[in-house]
Amino acid sequence: MFSNKPVTPSTLSVKDLPWQILWNKDKCNLCGQCTAVCPVNAIELGVFRKKFIEPPVGLDINGTLACDYKLYYGIRQKTDPAYKCVGCAMCNMVCPNDAIIPCRSDEADKLRFHMDRGGQPRRRGGRRNVSDGILDRIKFIRISMLTDPALDAGRHEFELRTLLGRVLPPDKNLKFVQQQGWIPPVREIYPLIIGGMSFGALSPTMWEGLQLGVAYLNEELNLPVRISTGEGGCPQRLLRSRFLKYVILQIASGYFGWDEIIHAIPDMKEDPCAIEIKYGQGAKPGDGGLLMWYKVNKLIAAIRGVPTGVNLPSPPTHQTKYSIEESVAKMIQSMYMAWGFRVPVYPKISGTSTALAVLNNLTRNQYAAGLAIDGEDGGTGAAYNVSMNHMGHPIASNIRDCYLNLVKVGMQNEIPLFAGGGVGKTGNLTANAAALIMLGASGVQVGKYIMQAAAGCLGSESDRCNICNIGLCPKGITSQDARLYRRLDAENVAQRVVDLFLSFDTELKKIVAPLGRSTSLPIGMADALGINDRNAAERLRINYVV
Amino acid sequence: MNDQHIAKVSGKKLGQRLDSRILEEEIQKLIKLGYRNLNIRAYGQHGIGGRLWRADHDSVHITVDGQAGQRVGSFGFPNTVIEINGPASDDVGWLNAGARIVIHGNAGNGVANAMAQGKIYIAGNIGARGMTMTKHNPRFDPPELWVLGSVGDYFGEFMAGGVAVICGYEAQNPENVLGYRPFVGMVGGKVFFRGPHNGFSQPDAKLTPIEEEDWNWLAENLKIFFQRIRRQELFEKLSDQSQWQLLRARTPQEKVGRRLRPMSFFRQQVWNKELGPGGLIGDLTQVDGSPISLITTGILRRFIPVWENRKYAAPCEATCPTGIPVSERWRLIREGRMDEAVDLALSYTPFPAAICGYLCPNLCMEACTRQSALMPPVDVTKLGQASIKAKLPKLPPVSGGKVAVIGGGPAGISVAWMLRQKGHEAIVYDMAQTLGGKMTTVIPGSRIPESVISSEMERVKEVIPHVHLRQKLARQDVQQLREDFDVIVIAVGAQKPITLPIPGNERLITALDFLKQAKTNKAKPGKRVVIIGAGNVGCDVASEAHRLGAQEITLIDIQQPASFGKERQAAEAAGARFLWPRVARAISEAGVELATGELLPADSVVISIGDAPDIDFLPPEVSTENGFIAVNENYQTTDSKIFAIGDAVRPGLLTDAIGSGRKVALAISEILEGKRPVGDSRIMIDRSRVSLEYFDPRIIEYSDMDQCGSQCSSCGICRDCGICVAICPQTAIRRREDDGLVDGYEYVVDDTRCIGCGFCAGACPDGIWDMAENDPLE
Repeated sequence: MFSNKPVTPSTLSVKDLPWQILWNKDKCNLCGQCTAVCPVNAIELGVFRKKFIEPPVGLDINGTLACDYKLYYGIRQKTDPAYKCVGCAMCNMVCPNDAIIPCRSDEADKLRFHMDRGGQPRRRGGRRNVSDGILDRIKFIRISMLTDPALDAGRHEFELRTLLGRVLPPDKNLKFVQQQGWIPPVREIYPLIIGGMSFGALSPTMWEGLQLGVAYLNEELNLPVRISTGEGGCPQRLLRSRFLKYVILQIASGYFGWDEIIHAIPDMKEDPCAIEIKYGQGAKPGDGGLLMWYKVNKLIAAIRGVPTGVNLPSPPTHQTKYSIEESVAKMIQSMYMAWGFRVPVYPKISGTSTALAVLNNLTRNQYAAGLAIDGEDGGTGAAYNVSMNHMGHPIASNIRDCYLNLVKVGMQNEIPLFAGGGVGKTGNLTANAAALIMLGASGVQVGKYIMQAAAGCLGSESDRCNICNIGLCPKGITSQDARLYRRLDAENVAQRVVDLFLSFDTELKKIVAPLGRSTSLPIGMADALGINDRNAAERLRINYVV
Repeated sequence: MNDQHIAKVSGKKLGQRLDSRILEEEIQKLIKLGYRNLNIRAYGQHGIGGRLWRADHDSVHITVDGQAGQRVGSFGFPNTVIEINGPASDDVGWLNAGARIVIHGNAGNGVANAMAQGKIYIAGNIGARGMTMTKHNPRFDPPELWVLGSVGDYFGEFMAGGVAVICGYEAQNPENVLGYRPFVGMVGGKVFFRGPHNGFSQPDAKLTPIEEEDWNWLAENLKIFFQRIRRQELFEKLSDQSQWQLLRARTPQEKVGRRLRPMSFFRQQVWNKELGPGGLIGDLTQVDGSPISLITTGILRRFIPVWENRKYAAPCEATCPTGIPVSERWRLIREGRMDEAVDLALSYTPFPAAICGYLCPNLCMEACTRQSALMPPVDVTKLGQASIKAKLPKLPPVSGGKVAVIGGGPAGISVAWMLRQKGHEAIVYDMAQTLGGKMTTVIPGSRIPESVISSEMERVKEVIPHVHLRQKLARQDVQQLREDFDVIVIAVGAQKPITLPIPGNERLITALDFLKQAKTNKAKPGKRVVIIGAGNVGCDVASEAHRLGAQEITLIDIQQPASFGKERQAAEAAGARFLWPRVARAISEAGVELATGELLPADSVVISIGDAPDIDFLPPEVSTENGFIAVNENYQTTDSKIFAIGDAVRPGLLTDAIGSGRKVALAISEILEGKRPVGDSRIMIDRSRVSLEYFDPRIIEYSDMDQCGSQCSSCGICRDCGICVAICPQTAIRRREDDGLVDGYEYVVDDTRCIGCGFCAGACPDGIWDMAENDPLE
């Protein structure tokens, strides 16, 4: 910055930014790779002038002391908020000499007070900037030592499957068959589900990588893993392939790509695994989405069934449905009809204190195949900061309340609950998933963990990167720019998906084996859970242990 | 002493079954007593035959009749031989450390579990989890398990050593002699088996050919096995090598995870086969999706450098109302082309010396990028003063239109000067005998040597024909001119002082009058002077009044004074007071009476709140606005043949007047050539593109023009320093010479080498390189 430029209230120094670039002049090779790779142009080559003045010892200078100036080049960090460093550290990744690294400010940044230029509040991608969560604090305290022998995760065989679909009790089942000639479809699937991330929110390479990995898990490893499409349609080829059976098609308020799906129904070789009707998203409950026109390129447009270069809004609600009851009833029934009542249909809502009302409604709906609840720690490609950080309900108590309510009405084995939102956000995927299952979930949905483990997403709770919303993902995970998404190899993503599911599988066995479970998931087995917080224990109705 | 004697032990006494502990104590007692052959009648007692170390190195032979309980021979010692004449229960030979155990029948689950030494011979089938957790301690021979029939499920789990031989003879399950899921976690040892199996843990064990040594061992020991179980007749039947297979643990180096097909194979052969070439979206896009590196070249760069030489105007040029390309002149000086630099000015202004060198507040210097870093601006007055020697460019023959210019002040001279250079005939009509307007009549002599103006006026006269009007123009005269000429330009300036409608205003002396009189030393301001209107003209009045003897000079204004620069400094140096906001209510003999009632005593009161043009002669078609002539962006009035410039349009600096003359001349020239006037579309360069760090901050004044040139940051004009070539990490930039180019050279980028790092833009002293977003790929 020029030295005599007037400051404004929003004039910031490097110190005021959330991330400071530490650059080492001695190591730097001036190769240009850091500035070339920086996704947000936060750094540039700078010209530096340095004064050298060396008075001799004894001050024998006769009234004149020569000084000298020398120039050098180096990396300079910009302070304009539009070019703020996001801490992704791609500079560090490409630097051959380890001469540059972004460091998190040692105090709360000042930038946060100025991220509303033109009255536009901050929007970003990523996750809630809260690093801890109740799930990490839950322990599995019931280690079988008695007549139910502990199993050996490495030696014994496990069938860790869950059911997606309306499971009728035997008497009802008989009655259904007799009276209607129909019983609801039920899928036996793996309890870890890849949650809805749209083609558009994700790059083509990322999306294909996930699908490829899921197909591999099913066909090469016999692990019935399922993946939700998210709301962005589904490529026509996938709809007409046998891989469709591994896919949960999502319909949301934008209805993108659904005409393409409908046109493909006559050609479908396989039914999809299920239909997920999205009513809410944990990361931004009650808020919709907007895919900006500049991201709607030829490919996205073709899959979503829209022209290129238009804004694609997904409103917070389904526009013609005035209540969730109406919406659930109508949409579930219509979706069942579309596939001849062979495909389970369930709603997905954001974590909310009103989840029980939705659930009660579903218990009275003969078609409802389950309920997915997405807690406040869910991620998103784009949301208002305030929605992400402050809106929503934690998943643990929400899923627990729902499960206990089902127990109360005696339907805990009939409507499966699926939990999502921050599962594995600190890396403890399996422990978090197992905790939710024992709290009452039949399975868990994960998104962010997949992005981090399968694609190397750099996001974190310390507001690192989090620029999914502007299409500049340095890893190519959420970008529609081939210059970025080609950094990601679908095959590598698929391999990582396989790796993480296999390791999850092993870890899940390590948790359930000591409980003596090998053939059924310990859904709702809350006597196995403990926590060192009396209030939390009371609220979740699990053991208080210290 | 009793070693040949067979001691008989019964597990029942007095009709009561003995506890396992009592039987164990009985056996240990007999051994202690020296018995070495025991025959035990068992009733389900556990652990028979182990722990017989009291026999020292004597061998102990134990036969069991009846029903042996669990863990026969557990903790067996090498001196012990145990023979069960019938079937055995679970865990035969558990933790066996050397005993030979023969079971003449089937055995239950867990045979040989954790056995480390010794041999177990089973003359039948065994149950689940046989040979699990076995060890081989290198100090001893490996343990052996021989089974005549088949083994149960989970055989050999975590087997870590020893040899198992499974003959598959009269197997319990003839379809599968190894049972379900054998050898999970096996890490050592080997297993000979005969008969079909249903798979085993591939990651842990593997089949291996039976070498001659193996077979010799097996054949030899089979004989012994059959002997032990008293079935020698089977040897011939079961010693067909082709029926045997050998399986051994994989070494840690051989361990493999699940044998999986590579993902690339799956993608090509399964995924793409089902979906079609190109996979998921192969039908929707042709964009290459293959992986690329983080650092890319060519079309894969996100940003590309663009050499934007002369695309933007330097701040000096952009802010000069006359539009003189100041930095271009300094470039010529840097190249040693001093004369060209000086002469260039005449293509823009007839008064480069008078204005740039003396009279102009030098907006170019105000705007100089160097000011941004608190460094003194390049001193253009040196270049201006040198321009006194500027030589006229060769004038083109008069061939174009005819233009009448009304008014011979700076604006009028400027437009005529420029039109003549463009080959048009321009005649100046003026009331005064000599050209020059306010420049020659009201500028104080202290501001500029008379000789500068006169010598520049001489140059002007060589170029511009002048008609001395001697009388005021009337409307019909203008109509006549309109018919005689293609275009009329009105440049009459503002000669009609604006005054205040307040009592006593007849006492006011207009600034124009005062300065004219002062110029000839005729003005007599007195000791106390009040000047109403504290602009630059007011400041000129103050300075002149001071020169002519005034001691107490006050300037008042109704708002913050707009005066600045040299005029303001001169007035302040003269001791003038500036007061605002002050509103004059009346002028009296005593001085100026303010609205507040306060009196400012004055011997003379000068009004300098501006001048208005005298435009009564204008045809009614020409609209005015607040007393000034209304014009569009090309200085065209509402009569398309009549243009107006200078103070007649809006009050301004000399350079504004000259600039408007130049601009209107260019517009008229274009119009006369039948074109639409475009003007200069360049915008000012963003100063932040320029790097001032290259310059020495110790230079706070300039000794000569060469130094000025060297310190000019040449904003937006390439100084041809080659720093970009040197800094480029990819050696992607080179200098290309081409006489067809404006400067005879350009810097070009090799797209196949450039990575888009922007170092060229960062290092460029002049702000020439810009990083542009690359075109979208689709």
